[in-house]
Amino acid sequence: MLKVENLTKVYPNGTQALKNVSFEVKDGEFLAVIGLSGSGKSTLLRCINRLIEPTSGKIFWNDQDVTAASSADIRNVRRQIGMVFQQFNLVKRSTVFTNVMSGRLGYTNTLSSSLHLFSAEDRQRALSSLEQVGLADKAHVRADSLSGGQQQRVGIARALMQDPKLILADEPVASLDPVLAHSILKYLEQLNKERGITVLCSLHFLDLVHRYATSAIALKDGEIVFQGLPKQIDDAQFKAIYGQEAERVSVV
Amino acid sequence: MTTSQSTRTPSVNPALTVLSSLILPGLGQVLLKKRGRGLMIFLATAVLAFLINWSFVHQNIAKVTLGGMATSWLWLALILFWVWNVLDVSALRADKAFSILPGIVCTAVILYVIAWNVTDVKLGRLIERFNDARSVAANLLNPDMITISVNGQDQICSWGCIQTYVSDKLAGRPTAGTIRPSDNLLDIFGRVKPLPAPKWQVNLGLAAPDSKVNTFVAGSMIETIAMGLMATLFSTILAIPISFFAARNIMSRLPGGMAIYYAARGILNVVRAIDTIVWGLIVIVWVGLGTFAGVVALTIHSVAALGKLFSEEIEHIDPGPVEAVTASGANLAQTIRFAVIPQLVPSFLAYSLLRWDINMRSATVIGFVAGGGIGFFVIETVRMGGYQQYATALWAVAVVIMLVDYISEKWRESILKDQPQKDETKKRPFANTLRTAFYVILGTAVFAYGWNITEISIRSMLNPGKNFGQLILDFISIDLSQQVVQVVFQQMLVTIFQAMLATTLGALIALPFSFLAAKNLTGRSLLSAWIYYLTRGMFNILRSIEALLYVVIFIFWVGIGPFAGMLALAVTSFALIGKLFSESIENIELGPIEAVNATGADRLQTIAYAVIPQIIPPFVSYLLYQWDINVRMATIIGFAGGGGIGLTLTTFFGSLQYHKAGTVVAFIVIVVALMDFASAKLREELI
Repeated sequence: MLKVENLTKVYPNGTQALKNVSFEVKDGEFLAVIGLSGSGKSTLLRCINRLIEPTSGKIFWNDQDVTAASSADIRNVRRQIGMVFQQFNLVKRSTVFTNVMSGRLGYTNTLSSSLHLFSAEDRQRALSSLEQVGLADKAHVRADSLSGGQQQRVGIARALMQDPKLILADEPVASLDPVLAHSILKYLEQLNKERGITVLCSLHFLDLVHRYATSAIALKDGEIVFQGLPKQIDDAQFKAIYGQEAERVSVV
Repeated sequence: MTTSQSTRTPSVNPALTVLSSLILPGLGQVLLKKRGRGLMIFLATAVLAFLINWSFVHQNIAKVTLGGMATSWLWLALILFWVWNVLDVSALRADKAFSILPGIVCTAVILYVIAWNVTDVKLGRLIERFNDARSVAANLLNPDMITISVNGQDQICSWGCIQTYVSDKLAGRPTAGTIRPSDNLLDIFGRVKPLPAPKWQVNLGLAAPDSKVNTFVAGSMIETIAMGLMATLFSTILAIPISFFAARNIMSRLPGGMAIYYAARGILNVVRAIDTIVWGLIVIVWVGLGTFAGVVALTIHSVAALGKLFSEEIEHIDPGPVEAVTASGANLAQTIRFAVIPQLVPSFLAYSLLRWDINMRSATVIGFVAGGGIGFFVIETVRMGGYQQYATALWAVAVVIMLVDYISEKWRESILKDQPQKDETKKRPFANTLRTAFYVILGTAVFAYGWNITEISIRSMLNPGKNFGQLILDFISIDLSQQVVQVVFQQMLVTIFQAMLATTLGALIALPFSFLAAKNLTGRSLLSAWIYYLTRGMFNILRSIEALLYVVIFIFWVGIGPFAGMLALAVTSFALIGKLFSESIENIELGPIEAVNATGADRLQTIAYAVIPQIIPPFVSYLLYQWDINVRMATIIGFAGGGGIGLTLTTFFGSLQYHKAGTVVAFIVIVVALMDFASAKLREELI
């Protein structure tokens, strides 16, 4: 279970990205985080695995205080939490296989992994992760020769290498053609339903939230303005989250 | 996996591919549909075999005696390469990737052993003669800039002396003597001297006939600046019309245009492949020694380089605006004025400014062959052992070139940036008109002054030296006798290896420094900011001085020959590679680093998985680029005693054997063009 208490983040330039954010995610949930660009979604997700250091507040992951974890402990926390990024964040010039293997780094020792030496078991795991996202035949091509949707599937395979209990997905479909959005989200949904992996996913389109999420929170200017079930977001809620000018749009 | 192999190559017997690569390296790979890889392996084997044989026959490189028979032990490395090639095929057959590392190691061993020997590397000398080098270094660090006069005796006032003088002066103590700029400094920058009044002053009644007036006599650095300016101006003007003949989209519309296009492109490429300094050798036969010869040589090379860039720019203009303006009913002249020229002017200007930078650098060394400018000054002072005077010249060059580099870069940036459109609806304010007038007058004055001190003389161009006709004839009928070709070929190989070794050495030293000069890696503390600026500053200072000017130092240290030339090239390579490497480190994407971090990887793993894969391709590409540059530079490094083909070329020129010199030039053109092409292709593959 993930518990966030009074989380606040102030950037050195004075921007207050998160203000007293508190919420809980139960195991097996698919939680959507919605809000405008700049509302603090990315900061929130990155605070959970401490890619960004929170200014104050606490984060508990299965009763372990993430905010107080030492640098050795945080490695241990991070490897349980997979992350999927808007820009995929693959090393473009490395092969798909190497990119997927890099998901296992938290489990392997520094020296052998730096020399690209992996156990046969880990190699097998990489191939089966790729198989799960339907890219087994692309293992030995360069990452940048893949399409955007395929690259994001590699990103998911990389997260699977970690054998994660939780996946943080930061706008995983925002850089993709809308028609590909469902294909990526279906993979996440499958992992959530079949393997019980908790998913924390920031999304732009409300209809995607309705379709995939089991619960939702909404951020506005760094504060939580909505917390509940996706279907509870009505027109009034919508205007409160996105502003009076906003219009509902939908994705195919 | 085996199924995919059998579907991919159904017709080839597996055993056959291994056997075919055993007989002919690369053939198996070709049969397995890896054409590029197979071809590379085949070519590498052929070239390496040739080089081993050549180096053994001509220079006894890597000699071992086996059972009374002398041979080269490098054959062993080639056999290992061969074995790797067979292993590669058997791995490919099973659809597995086999490491290319063993193949690269074998190739590198062969190439570097040969390069080390032909470049005549004598590490012992670096140590043996270290004390000599130290004395030169001491001289270099104390340039002759200020003269102090103590009791009527003049002596050089070095840094320590200047410091004492200044502190004495500030404290109000009596100073050791009086100081003034040294004669050497005045030779470099210029001095005021009474000279017979020029005619125009007499005619205007400003001076009496046959009287003397104080006149500013330009120093060698001012001459150099003028040469660079004049050559840039002339070459820009000349390159514009030429570039239209070399633009495919223009010429293809004219009848017979394509023939002109190919001819123009061909000529531009040949002229460009011959270095400015080599042009200098030819031009002095034509117009005689002097600054004017320098201007002509710089202009010739620069016209070709600009012509190519301009024509590519013409080829890449956006047809959209042309279409739109034509559609509005404009005629051809109007279309050119409003749709073509506005697209070309900024990029042409930017290229000219870039070329100004390059011309200034060439102008500092053109004096080695053409006479005039700071290059000539350096030869003269070094010949007399004046290392403190030479040091002043180096400092002057560094300051001027860094300044030019800075101005050119800032100017280019402001040209290529989207400028705010000036308000054309209003009348131009008077102040602007005044400013424009001021620039025009200033420009004209600088131009007239430059014309004057570079001794531009159309007459001497129309009235070539008596050997010039012979030179043209000999260049057309170059000497292709076996003897000459052999010598030239041998020296050409030495030059290429010299360039390779210089690139490697420069890169090895640059690598650690480049991390220090990358802003995203050096932290935000005060100390690291200092490290960053010091490293960047060192790169910039070393880069601003041409390799030809460094050779002198290394000749004193390790003696005349290719080793000295290699070391000089290594210094400039170090500076340029360091700059390029640190910039590519600064340009890495942060996303992958974040992603690898998020998986729980530690610092070293993050570097291995997210940083190194991102920087290796640009690094390799810059190495190839630098090798390409170094081959060009190595062809002229011999002019100052750095060995290689340059030495051969000056010897032939000096003894008026122009038909042999023509052979050398032809070889240089071919090799430089090939290197240019190959390195561009390889770099395209890498990025």
